[in-house]
Amino acid sequence: MRQQNSTSVTPLKTVGHATPRIDALERVTGKATYTNDIQFPGMLYARILRSPHPHARIRRIDVSKALAVPGVKTILTHENCQVVWGAGGISGGLQYNDDIKKITRQRRYVFNNPVRFVGEPVAAVAAVNRHVAEEAVRLIQVDYEVLGFVLEPEEALKQDAVKIWPEGNLSLNTQNQAQPMTARRGDVTEGFQASDQIFEERYSTAFVHNAQMEPRSCIAHWAGDKLTLYTPTQGISNCRSDTARDLGIPPEKVQIVCQYMGGGFGNKNQNQDADLITAMLAKEAGAPVKLEFTRKDDFIGVHGRWPTVQYYKVGVTRDGLLKAIQLRGYSGMGGYRKNTGSIGGIDIYQCPNIESVIYPVYTNKTVSGNFRGPEYPQGFYGIESMMDDVAYKMKMDPVEFILKNMTRKYRDELPYTNYSLEDCIRRGAETFEWKNRWRPQPGSDPGPVKHGAGIAFMAFRSALGRSNAVIRLDAKGKYTVFVGVTDIGAGAKTTMALIAAEALGVPLANVEVVWGDTDRCPYSVGESGSRTTIQTGYAVIQAAEALKRQIAEKGLPAGENVLVGSASPNPNLEGKVRAAYGAHFVEVAVDTDLGHVRVTKYVAVHDSGRIINPLTARSQIKGGVLMGIGMALHEDLIYDRRNGQPLTAGFYGDRIMTHRDAPDIEVIFIESDDGFGPYGAKSIGESSKVPAVAAVANAIFNAIGRRMKDLPITRDKILGALA
Amino acid sequence: MSKSKPKKKISRRKFLKGTGAALAVATAAPKIEAQTPAAGVATDAVPRSMIRVTVNGTERRIEVEDRWTLVELLRDHLGLTGTKIGCDRGECGACTVLLDGKPVYSCSNLAVWADGRSVETVEGLAQNGGLDPLQQAFIDHDAPQCGFCTSGQLMSAKGLLTRNPQPSADEVRAGMTGNLCRCAGYNHYVEAVLAAAKGGSR
Repeated sequence: MRQQNSTSVTPLKTVGHATPRIDALERVTGKATYTNDIQFPGMLYARILRSPHPHARIRRIDVSKALAVPGVKTILTHENCQVVWGAGGISGGLQYNDDIKKITRQRRYVFNNPVRFVGEPVAAVAAVNRHVAEEAVRLIQVDYEVLGFVLEPEEALKQDAVKIWPEGNLSLNTQNQAQPMTARRGDVTEGFQASDQIFEERYSTAFVHNAQMEPRSCIAHWAGDKLTLYTPTQGISNCRSDTARDLGIPPEKVQIVCQYMGGGFGNKNQNQDADLITAMLAKEAGAPVKLEFTRKDDFIGVHGRWPTVQYYKVGVTRDGLLKAIQLRGYSGMGGYRKNTGSIGGIDIYQCPNIESVIYPVYTNKTVSGNFRGPEYPQGFYGIESMMDDVAYKMKMDPVEFILKNMTRKYRDELPYTNYSLEDCIRRGAETFEWKNRWRPQPGSDPGPVKHGAGIAFMAFRSALGRSNAVIRLDAKGKYTVFVGVTDIGAGAKTTMALIAAEALGVPLANVEVVWGDTDRCPYSVGESGSRTTIQTGYAVIQAAEALKRQIAEKGLPAGENVLVGSASPNPNLEGKVRAAYGAHFVEVAVDTDLGHVRVTKYVAVHDSGRIINPLTARSQIKGGVLMGIGMALHEDLIYDRRNGQPLTAGFYGDRIMTHRDAPDIEVIFIESDDGFGPYGAKSIGESSKVPAVAAVANAIFNAIGRRMKDLPITRDKILGALA
Repeated sequence: MSKSKPKKKISRRKFLKGTGAALAVATAAPKIEAQTPAAGVATDAVPRSMIRVTVNGTERRIEVEDRWTLVELLRDHLGLTGTKIGCDRGECGACTVLLDGKPVYSCSNLAVWADGRSVETVEGLAQNGGLDPLQQAFIDHDAPQCGFCTSGQLMSAKGLLTRNPQPSADEVRAGMTGNLCRCAGYNHYVEAVLAAAKGGSR
């Protein structure tokens, strides 16, 4: 267990000490209740019929044979269910803004006609058991008018491309205009004129699926006009407001329950079509309904990371100083816009002239959406490969190039609340022994197995925001913390308990956490955007302070009395920008006969502010890194170009990491306290994956002397590059 | 992953008739007859069998539908929901249980194949109120993150340590490579299994 913490923060009593999860026992004994573990008497089972075509108009659906199967209760199709599924909408990146949803023209229904990707829901069946439901799904007859399809975003923008929406394939923005997302600073034309050397390159990244272990399931239960949904969601509060909006009922008539969930990584943000379908089936059938996705349903019917094509043009002076960066990018959004399709990364460089133009494009692949650092791992792969290449071509050590050109102020303008990026890089280079492992001459190792070293770095948002917490103290000295978090695996429940114990000055054992139920817990932002610890953790401190004031005023409660402290803070950064920092160093061994890549050493240095729980924080970093290695080397939801069918929709086909693929990851925390957030804690969850892909790709270049420009970097591509 | 031998012969045709939908091929599928599945079997016409199975040390006689998988029996009909379904097609290992002491994917075994055999699930690991050393090591090393793969990882590890009480790290990785973890807690799972093995030898 290698673990190093710097001691630059004042030690605290409970926070900062490695602590097993407060619910670890439930997790190792099988007692933790996940959504699909719940059963109700008289509960029906649901299955979904999905489109076998990448693009087709439904002429007719005949459900009569399916309805005739004994035990089938309800069937929904686009004909009898016209619920708009608003989550993500087309308003990309502004999913939670109801005003924008009102004006968007390109509506996504739960059941659409035409269908726009293989796997799009066409019908849903509720029946007495799952076997009957499956049987009925097979008996639904759909008459499709098969339409042409397009899979790649650049193809989809061509004049003669099949139109997936009447307005064309460039996704409309929030003003219903077909415009790319554009960002400019300075003047790139002048920047290139002032450059001594200009480099241009194209990078592409694949569709990778979240592939969380728990397939989506949902149980809907109506009591009168009140709906209770047991569903794996990363944010119970947002899931409730989304579901209420989409079903047209008041939020207080919706209860969302999610206690344990089997991972999400962005796949379970907001509400899902599964939630709406289950709610509608249960309403129609007049009985509780459990919808279960198969693994294939989950791969093709939910969402993954958007594939991108990135064209970079970079200008530098002869001493290797950046003068201009230009990016033209294309993101494949699938048939509907569920997120921005942005491509992040340019901001980590200091450069006076920048232009970024990104086209979010509809395609007939499955929909793209949130996945651990939505726009960053693919964007950082592109820009950090590009810059690594520039460094080599300028005959510079990549570490020196980064130290010369990395961000010092956010967008060269706003100050950071603290700045430790240079520390992360220097500390990592030293621990990793960069000078010994990096090959000044790439591909120079003798023999077929060649070693190489790569670096990538990151600065990642750690913004503050609103949240709530309530803490109740009873006469027995038990502190009950009510927070609207769900525990998707990051350990939010334990984190909140640690923060509460610290703020209250009581032993952890005296703290209990009530979570994951909108009827019992106040609003929390939910486990997305690496915000739970920062936002809800801060609310817990404020609620503890409120409770302590009451204790000071009224004394400890006696008998049946209780004291309650609550807080709804919405702090801001006073014009500064808050970021987590990190640098990843990786060594690979590439077998040039077989094309096989093995990671032989990995050092990840992170400043995530103060570490609340080093035990779980380390798990987060390692998990993100290993996911990044998988994305770099083999994960890919491949589509057949001839027929638009997904070919690798499953764990084996998609090639997620296994025990045997996973190297030991060395984690180093450089702790800091910038005076914001709970005891100075910053974001962790996403940031660990963000630089990992680029670091691996750069190490492969150093090993074999060939720049790998298309993800994933599979054996065939390596052998092809070496041929 | 060990393969289990079916004791009770259910023909593939009969099996498919019952399941209706096409299932992924089971790891230990019985003799395959080339037949297309018949459609339209009502619930009450589903073939059933009485089986005798020892679950976590308790012998039970249960009437099961022939189409039920072992994990379906455990989760839906015996209330043992600690065993999870991650893929239902023999890819992820979340449903791993011990069948006569050997780890198997319970999604890829029919319930009727457990007739006359013993099944151990995560609920049976803790004995006499004390955690299995593996469970304690999993807690100490923060091996479970979301926890969805954990029961399967535990049962694979249990099977591994039974046949190889002192494995090397590479042997642990090899023994558990059929158990996926998307949180990628792999380092911690391996550390935990090695620690449990070490503790057990004292």
